[in-house]
Amino acid sequence: MQPHLKRAFTLLAIAIIGFIAVRALIVPDSFGQNGWYRGDSVFELRNFPVKHAEPVSCGEEDCHKTIYSIWSSAGHKTVNCETCHGPSQEHVNNVRIMPPPANDSRDFCGLCHFKRAARPSGFPQIDPETHGENLKCAYCHNPHKPWFV
Amino acid sequence: MESLIWGYIYPNEAEIQWSILIVLYPYITGLVAGAFIASSLYHVFGKKEIKPVARFALLTALSFLLVATLPLVTHLGHPERGIEIMFTPHLTSAMSGFGYIYSFYLIVVVLEIWLSFREDIVKMALNSRGWKELLYSGLALFSYDISEKALHDDEKFAKKLAIIGIPSAAFLHGYVGFIFGGIKANPWWSTPLMPLIFLMSAIVSGIALLILLYLASMKLRKHAIDHKCLHSLAHYLWIFLILDVTLELLEVISMKYESLEEIEIINRLLSDKIATTFYGVQLGLGIFVPFVLLLLVGIMKNRETLKMIMISISSVLVVIGVFAMRWNVVIGGQEISKSLSGTLTYVPVFFSQEGVLPAIIILVIPFIILFVITRILPPWKDMEEKV
Amino acid sequence: MNLSRREFAKIGCRIVIGATAGTAMIESIATNGIAAENSPKGDYNWKEHYWGYLIDTRKCIGCGRCANACKLENNVPFDEPVYRTWVERYRIVNKGREENVTIDSPNGGINGFTDDIPAEQIKKAFYVPKICNHCENPPCVQVCPVGATYSTEDGVVLVDYNYCIGCRYCIQGCPYGARYFNTEKGTADKCTWCYHRITKGLQPACVEACPVGARVFGDLKDPESPVNKILDKERINVLKPDLGTKPKVYYVGLDREVR
Repeated sequence: MQPHLKRAFTLLAIAIIGFIAVRALIVPDSFGQNGWYRGDSVFELRNFPVKHAEPVSCGEEDCHKTIYSIWSSAGHKTVNCETCHGPSQEHVNNVRIMPPPANDSRDFCGLCHFKRAARPSGFPQIDPETHGENLKCAYCHNPHKPWFV
Repeated sequence: MESLIWGYIYPNEAEIQWSILIVLYPYITGLVAGAFIASSLYHVFGKKEIKPVARFALLTALSFLLVATLPLVTHLGHPERGIEIMFTPHLTSAMSGFGYIYSFYLIVVVLEIWLSFREDIVKMALNSRGWKELLYSGLALFSYDISEKALHDDEKFAKKLAIIGIPSAAFLHGYVGFIFGGIKANPWWSTPLMPLIFLMSAIVSGIALLILLYLASMKLRKHAIDHKCLHSLAHYLWIFLILDVTLELLEVISMKYESLEEIEIINRLLSDKIATTFYGVQLGLGIFVPFVLLLLVGIMKNRETLKMIMISISSVLVVIGVFAMRWNVVIGGQEISKSLSGTLTYVPVFFSQEGVLPAIIILVIPFIILFVITRILPPWKDMEEKV
Repeated sequence: MNLSRREFAKIGCRIVIGATAGTAMIESIATNGIAAENSPKGDYNWKEHYWGYLIDTRKCIGCGRCANACKLENNVPFDEPVYRTWVERYRIVNKGREENVTIDSPNGGINGFTDDIPAEQIKKAFYVPKICNHCENPPCVQVCPVGATYSTEDGVVLVDYNYCIGCRYCIQGCPYGARYFNTEKGTADKCTWCYHRITKGLQPACVEACPVGARVFGDLKDPESPVNKILDKERINVLKPDLGTKPKVYYVGLDREVR
């Protein structure tokens, strides 16, 4: 091989070896341990903070036992505490941190109960124009233990 | 904003993800591949009439190749992580090959240029002083053998390299087509014809650009134009235009003929969203008009000036038409919702990371690079001897 | 000259092979060390689970509490049009012999839906909650060029926010529109089935928030799991089955208009 080509290929070889070396230094250690990805990322995602505690956290201690037992035996038992009261894991961890008050507007209840064509017909729905004289729903209905008037 | 949306699009589709920069990327790599293949018409297939532009075509390919990564990297959410594509390429992804294919091709082009300019480089190194001597000696890798035998061996090696170069140029660009063609989620992209369409339009745009740059440089240098070379390029442009339009029409016709689930939204895309850029610019101005003009050029006798004007007009139209083709693929594909029941509209922004301004800047850079390179490595030696 | 070329090639090969093997060895030693240290902590073993999700569209009332809870739980910006889960509404209106389908999902359903087509014109109407399908054959993972998105052993498709380069190829590759670009992180983002919750024995936030039990989450490896109970007795469909993505979000009561 001619000397100038030798030199060119030596340069190329140096570049390739340099690349391999840099690659070895930079690719994260956990890459490829479980598959073609950074193994550590699974743990990072698992450690993401939880924001919604489950209803048991509200009732299992003595904190909200009474309201929990009323709620858990009534018609709204499928509506979890945090669906109305907001994410409460912080409050569970530290009772001094209060979640914002529950939304008790007609529109909020209406998200489920205003008459809508696409809802399953058996689901309890009201016409907001004619029902309840624009009063707040909780005026007549206990949200923790709803009943039909 | 709402009025830009028709029907139902998935809520996450409100933003167009691949903007004008991603239109630019296949456009630029297409020009690279086209210019390289044009140069190999001489280097590999021995088409002597192309010789005047063969070296210039290589330099054009390099100038555009050097900026090919720019639109991609600029568009990334994390440009600093872009190198991961070379460190941990996920081989099931059509995109993962980019780093290696690009690097391999860059090496081939640089070697090819180096070998075909080596004689000039060595002569310049020996005949100049000061920083110029240092520059050219460095480029010669401080090895000054330009004996007849050495040059002959170089030429043989360069030919082998060009033979590798053609498939890698085809691969570099065909695979860009596969990046789109392999996306089953998008009915406008998903077709096995896509790599071929991209390749043909690449060759077409590359030859057209080469013609324009050749004419422009001859004008600038006040040199006579080699009409034989020009007509030969125009001839190849015409042939590849036919292949290109056949494939592009085949794609649309088979989509319409098969009329699968997505036909309604495809029809809406073609008749409403991209009607002008598809039928008007891509097919009409970009293919039909140049096709007719080049046909006339082929038939006409003498009248060189008129022919030259017609070839230049065709080339300008082809370069614009191929840009419209990239636009119709990249933007058009994103203007239909994957819910197949709605469309949205891309509104380009001027000043932003992914706006029109960076796109223009990126498109201007290769011309500056080309200007500089032709100063360092004048590709016209052969011609000056002739003139 | 021939000899020297061959020699050169030999030396070159040796150098390249040597360097590759060397770095590979160093790497494997390093990763093995880390692997032992990082082997699944706590009582969660991902080899024991394979998660699945079921949506009963017949039960959905379109309240949008799922989409709301999801944004709260996962810090998804409320002021951007990005959703890890959303609720679609389909309304089919008869116009002579032709059917006219209106689909919408205003703000992903978070603010609920209002009736803007008179009820008497509507032949059929229903809600369909959507979420990442965590496909068994995920096109998003296939197209990721760097390995920044992946399927876990327990059947969840995740995004590595510290590795994603933000090329958005996965967003293009997803046939369901489940992925979005997180402008704050500069990466792709999507539903994780609340991986931080399910690995602690909790339910995903959307399942937790659903007041009517339209969303069910469970372990496909556990024959007693709520998902398997329904899968065993109901007729099931998935979205866009012809694309071969093998979704793990199963639908009950899916209409032909839903895509």
